[in-house]
Amino acid sequence: MKLIEYFGTDSGLLIFIAVLVVVFAAITFLIIKSSKKAYAGRIIIPVLFIELALAFGIVTLNFPNKGDEVGPGVVPGLWLIAILIFSTLLLIKGTLGNEEKDPPWGHMKKVAAFIVMTILYIIIMQYIGYYISTVIYLILGMYYLSYRNWIVMISIAAGWVVFSYFAFYRLLYVPLPKGMLLERIFG
Amino acid sequence: MGLGYLINIQPAIAIVAGVILGIMVGAMPGLSPSMGVALLVPFTYNLQPHVALILLISIYIASEYGGSITAVTINTPGTPSAVVTAFDGYPLTKQGKAGTGLGVSLVASTIGGIIGTIILIFFSVPLARLAVRMHPAEYFALAIFGLTTVASLGGKNWIKAFLAAMLGLLINTIGIDPISGVKRFTFGTYKLFDGFPLIPALIGLFALSEVFTRIEEYKLEKGKETKFDKKHWPSFMDYWKLKFAIIRSSILGTLIGIFPGAGATIASFLSYDLAKKVSKTPESFGTGNPEGVAAAEAANSSSVGGALVPLLALGIPGSASTAVLVGALMIHDLVPGPLLFVERPDIVYSLFAALMVANFVMLILGLFGARLWIKVTVIPKKVLLPAILAISIIGSFAVNYSFFDVAACLGFGIAGWVLKKYGFPVAPIVLGMVLGKLAEQNFRRAVIMGGYKIFFTRPASVILLLLALLSLGVPLYQTYKAGKKEKAGV
Repeated sequence: MKLIEYFGTDSGLLIFIAVLVVVFAAITFLIIKSSKKAYAGRIIIPVLFIELALAFGIVTLNFPNKGDEVGPGVVPGLWLIAILIFSTLLLIKGTLGNEEKDPPWGHMKKVAAFIVMTILYIIIMQYIGYYISTVIYLILGMYYLSYRNWIVMISIAAGWVVFSYFAFYRLLYVPLPKGMLLERIFG
Repeated sequence: MGLGYLINIQPAIAIVAGVILGIMVGAMPGLSPSMGVALLVPFTYNLQPHVALILLISIYIASEYGGSITAVTINTPGTPSAVVTAFDGYPLTKQGKAGTGLGVSLVASTIGGIIGTIILIFFSVPLARLAVRMHPAEYFALAIFGLTTVASLGGKNWIKAFLAAMLGLLINTIGIDPISGVKRFTFGTYKLFDGFPLIPALIGLFALSEVFTRIEEYKLEKGKETKFDKKHWPSFMDYWKLKFAIIRSSILGTLIGIFPGAGATIASFLSYDLAKKVSKTPESFGTGNPEGVAAAEAANSSSVGGALVPLLALGIPGSASTAVLVGALMIHDLVPGPLLFVERPDIVYSLFAALMVANFVMLILGLFGARLWIKVTVIPKKVLLPAILAISIIGSFAVNYSFFDVAACLGFGIAGWVLKKYGFPVAPIVLGMVLGKLAEQNFRRAVIMGGYKIFFTRPASVILLLLALLSLGVPLYQTYKAGKKEKAGV
């Protein structure tokens, strides 16, 4: 009980999560090196869910209970137990090879590039504003998917920005980010 | 009563715009009805609640029809349920009778939609009256039953579907507990005090994850444009011959739609099967029999009305698209369920009226616009995918003007993409997120009222919980049986 209480504190939880991360890394490493490599995803995902449930479980056990019959932790606890049971079932299926092999990887680099591009878009938008960043993002996105009809690319990007100005800014009063940099320069 | 609300300019525009958008969303392969509705929810934020709902519901109905256009003409179903439409629709096109396929699918969809709406009205009003009197213990059992049926319909992936639903339920508990005021899983971030934002999660799971999947597949060739003539457009007598097939499939489709988890796709498969079984010429199915097209399309359109029954009367969405509609209702501070009939009958009845009208608008636009709708398939995916990303980002920002929401949307998108890759369906996550509050509040209320034993002393709750257990037991048994067969080498 003392240990659970300790893991409930800020520093204790950090240590607990650190342990989970190390365990996860170790399991991943072992699987990739083992004969189960073709099932890596089928094993790693349930492990991730189990660890997630454990971390949430520690937090749940430390919820303050003011003597209610059903405290704030009861229902999350129910869901967590179900997650643990079903993840364990999946893990067993995956380890025994009762699952299909991992699906082949497609154009992962392209997806990764798009994710990075989207993150950059979200960050840059706050500096140079919605309109300019969106035009750049759309044109780059289409270019990266090897579309080369510049007239279509520019008109779609510009058209979307004009549409979002009227639809969001004018009609729905959404304060589209104007961009900190531009605001500072132009007031 | 509801019709009165529609004789204004705004709802009328909403229906027409919704039907046009819906047909386009349905016709574009890769854009599913739930994705279309999710992407458009943020646009409805500042509209009046009933106009917003009318718009979204029109999109939902029309997109089920839109999927059939490309299924018939180019054998590329725009929606999962239109796969069945293509069985007989595309052979008709190959015989040069695309007009027959399109005409039959349009009329069957319209009649299916109308029958679905009528059944919806007759079922949901008494069901809501009954539900108002339900005990919290029964309500909790009902929510659990709804979730387990969804999972059990996940087929061989039922464990994953159930796990996904549980994750959704867990995500729902993040935030300040409304009963005790305790901060749960907020990890010191005040942005999480109100819980995870639903709309960005919806957009991430339904739209972004799909875009990432498409980019990963990288099959981005352009759709073929097909020319067709209206020579073979069916006459009234042709439709008359299909009357039984259409009515039978519509009723079956609605009933299947009512059942949580069994949506348009299952409805069209089952009613196609039934039409084939009762037909005098079952061998003609699959070779261009208009009856096959009619059965599939009437069923998937009527399932929309069916799916709205548990959503409106009980507050329990049974499908991805209806879960998205809950999100739409929530941003207008409306909670679907029996109380909606008592507190906001105007909303409910205007929705019924809108469903009726939208079906007729769909018939008119479908008749005159068929050539135009085919054109959407030539929109290159290389342009479409970045555009969906941009719409998703602005859409998730527009609800709370918050970059935290945008980041959450992207996070859900990435998680959804990975999970889908490994066979986890994403719709149960959303169902869990939507049903979580209902399940938890009723669970705790029930226990406060009568202790933990209350779930087992009220007959209705016992029956529902047993059914829930059964719906998990059936796939378990099937898996066991299949495993045994495999071992026996059969």
